[in-house]
Formats: sequence, C-alpha cells, structure tokens
Amino acid sequence: MLDVYTWEPNANSGKPLFCLHEKGVPFTYHYIDMGTHEHHAPEFLAINPDGTIPAIVHDGFTMTESTPAMEYIDEAFGGPSLRPEDPFRRWQMRILLRYMDNVVAPSLAMIASNRLAAPRFVGQDPDELRAKLARIPLPERRATWEKLMFQATPPAEIEESQRRLRQAIERFNSLLGQTPWLAGETFSLADVGVFATFHALPLSMEGEVNDRATANLMRWLRACHSRPALQAALRMGKGFITQRAAEVRERLGVAGAAA
Amino acid sequence: MLLHYAPGSAHSASVRIALAEKGIEAELHKLNLVNYEQHRPEYIALNWHGTVPMLEDRGQYLMETFLILEYLEDLHPAPPLIGKDPRQRYIARKWGKYVETHIAPHLAINRWAALHGKVSDEAVPGFANLLTARCELWLRAKHGFDREQLAVSTQALLTAGNRLAADLAGNDWLAGDRFTLADVAVYPHVAQFGALGLPVPPAVEQWLARVAARPSVEAIGADLFPLAVMGPEPGRWG
Repeated sequence: MLDVYTWEPNANSGKPLFCLHEKGVPFTYHYIDMGTHEHHAPEFLAINPDGTIPAIVHDGFTMTESTPAMEYIDEAFGGPSLRPEDPFRRWQMRILLRYMDNVVAPSLAMIASNRLAAPRFVGQDPDELRAKLARIPLPERRATWEKLMFQATPPAEIEESQRRLRQAIERFNSLLGQTPWLAGETFSLADVGVFATFHALPLSMEGEVNDRATANLMRWLRACHSRPALQAALRMGKGFITQRAAEVRERLGVAGAAA
Repeated sequence: MLLHYAPGSAHSASVRIALAEKGIEAELHKLNLVNYEQHRPEYIALNWHGTVPMLEDRGQYLMETFLILEYLEDLHPAPPLIGKDPRQRYIARKWGKYVETHIAPHLAINRWAALHGKVSDEAVPGFANLLTARCELWLRAKHGFDREQLAVSTQALLTAGNRLAADLAGNDWLAGDRFTLADVAVYPHVAQFGALGLPVPPAVEQWLARVAARPSVEAIGADLFPLAVMGPEPGRWG
C-alpha cells in the first residue's frame, strides 16, 4: 500500500509524484487542497501532525520529508535508478537538492505566495485569519502564514529572494553547460527536485529564463518536459498547475502540449 | 583524503566520528575558528561557504556535513552506518536534514548569546570574502541577536529535544536498533545543550551517554566543547 497525501504536482508537493511516475510505481493520490487549508485540518493532521505536505505512507510507514522520501522511493521500489553510481556524483545530486530545499525553493515560495496567495487575504476578517493561524502546528510555518495573511513580508526579504533565485538560475544554467543532467550523464533526483520547482519558469520568469539568457537551462527544461513520466505527473493536478504546464510545453515547442 | 576541520565545530566532530567508525585514515588540517581562519582568502578559494568541515578527495572539495557522511558511506560501505533498510535510511536522512534546518542554526544563535560571542574589529574585513547570506549572518551576530530571535531559537531547541526523545522511545539509537549516521550527525550538537543550560528529556540524556561511550567519540572528546561561532542560516520562509 502506497498512499501519497499531497497538493499539486509542484515544488515539494510534486516531488513524490514526479519521482513515482519516473520509477513506474503505482500509488494512491490523495489530493490535499492547500487553497482551503486542508493540510491544517484534523483529518490531515492525523496523518502528519506537523501539517506539512507531502506525506507519504508506505505499508504503515509515514514520511514527511520530501527529499529523504525521494531517496526512499528510489531504494524501496523497482524501476530505473534515479541516483548516479559514482559517489562524487551522488554528493553532487544531494548538495543540489539541499541547495533547493534550503535556499532556492523557499525563495521562490516567498515570491510566488506573496504574488498569488497574499492578495486573497486582503479584506478578510482578521479574527478568522487568526483562527486559521492557530491551527498551524509548526511555529516557523505559522510565522510564514502570518506574514502572508497580513501582507507583512518585508520588501527587502522579497528582493533578497529574487537575488537568490536569479543566482540559482545562473548556477544551474552554467552546470548544465557541462553535463546533460544536473548531477552528470544520467537523469537523477537532482533533476526531479529542481524541475518540481522550476517547471514553469519559462512563463513565470520569462525575462530571466529564455533561449537567449539561459540556453542550457532551456535545453534541460525541454528535455524534462519531454519525459512522459514528468508529463503524466503534471497532468495529475486539479488546478492551474496542469494548465500552466501545457502552456509551458507549447511555449517550449514540446510534444504532448495539451493539458 | 584530507579533512579540513576545527576543534569546537560540532559539524567537524561528526565527520571525524564517522571516519573513526569506518576505520578510514584521513589527513587532518586543523583550522582555528577563534582567529577566523575559515574566512581567509586561501581557504575561501577552496570553499566559498567559508565553513568547516570540508573534505578534499580525488581532486574534489566536498561540503555539507551530512552529505560528506553519505559520501564516506558510498565510498566505504563497510561497516554500514546509513541504516540496514530503506526505512532506517529514511530516518537517518531525516535527522541529517533536521540538524541543518532546526538544530544547528538555532544552537549557534543560542550559543552565541550564552557564551557572549563578540566579533573583533580585525575579523570584520574577512566577512567581505563570504557569500552575501553568510556575511549577513555574521554581521547579525556582531550586533547581537534580539530577544525575540533568542526566544524562537530556544523554543526550536527544546522542540528538537522532544522530537529526539520521540524517536528514541523504545530504541537505543535514533534510527532504531543500530547506531547510524543519524546519531553521528546529531550527537555533537546536542552534546552542547547541557553546557548552554538547555534541558533535554531523560531518554535523550541516556542516549547522549551511550554515544559518548563509543571509542570513536571518546577519541575526540577534547574537541567537543561549545564555541561562539555561527552555524547555518535559520530558515527564511517556513
């Protein structure tokens, strides 16, 4: 029994979906709607008391850290290996995932959620918002949601996140000038982890990510968007992510453009 | 194989424990963090993060403690330290990540305050050699952390103690029935809690004693003291 409780095929939520499709492992997808705060509701907190998604439950064993869970998926199931054999390349795969988890993905999350989620809270009853905040178990997540709900993210923080994101785009573009995939000659979890967060950049950051400015990154994005498994995972969404992925494929000229 | 390390660096201790557990011979290069040797241009040229430990092997320079531990495991699988099956390995990796996101950054802030950390004027020019985020963290330390940040960090460390106790319930070791890289990665940090006045639950106290008794840990005991130095950056967005 393999159950994945998660939101859209995007960022940390998407990592197990992309990974399991690449491995060809069947699983049950339980959609947790972040938009209605289902991840802070009692039903989900019974699965993951931290109220974070994704949660992956395999034969009664619950995993809530998406990067270690990807290594688990690669070890516990058949299908193609998603980790390089060479110890140095493995280190490289892991340090890219660590960089995504600690630096890049939180920066993009700050930028995107301030753009997309924060406006939804404008004009809402502050007491209701505080009641929603009180249901968030982890203090660091509560602090983040509080900034979003009350539009309190300091502009300097958002600028710093934009700087970090631009730096990451440059670094990945340069790395992809040396090897076809992020951790060497073969597709790996590093590609899954970065793609999960970067798949829509040709649209959402078209000024920074395009064929002139970042040719290597664009080549890699086309290669990822052409993979049937990643396309299948992107089709699993119930909201704007799936439609947007189809638009990105069309922009990139990749087959399988329809949502 | 050459390990760049520093006494008083909990992260360095983890790598030295793993080397001893695996019986790997490595040359050691000791840096003095009190003199900010890790910020000198010749070191930054090798490691742009300006952090210890760093492992030099086969012409590559490897950073990030837990990922160095995994590299040693991949290179020398015997005796196995990452865990016997995918579940145990997941737990080891979960703790390897938690140390970096929740324990080490908040311990550094708490420790800086408890040990009355000071940045000398001679140290400041070296900050310019660092990456922006690291430079800013050191400048924050120079000014001292405010009461609100200290309260957040202390709470994070108390929570960490409770989480450790939860995984140790019915187990001798963090990932279950055997000593793994989870214990290697977490121990040197939590071993400092007592000296900083941070209480830990009894199960954690007993586990600390079990780890301390291992010859690999006893051998570096003199280097396990807390030092007022910065750790990783605390999370910025949840």
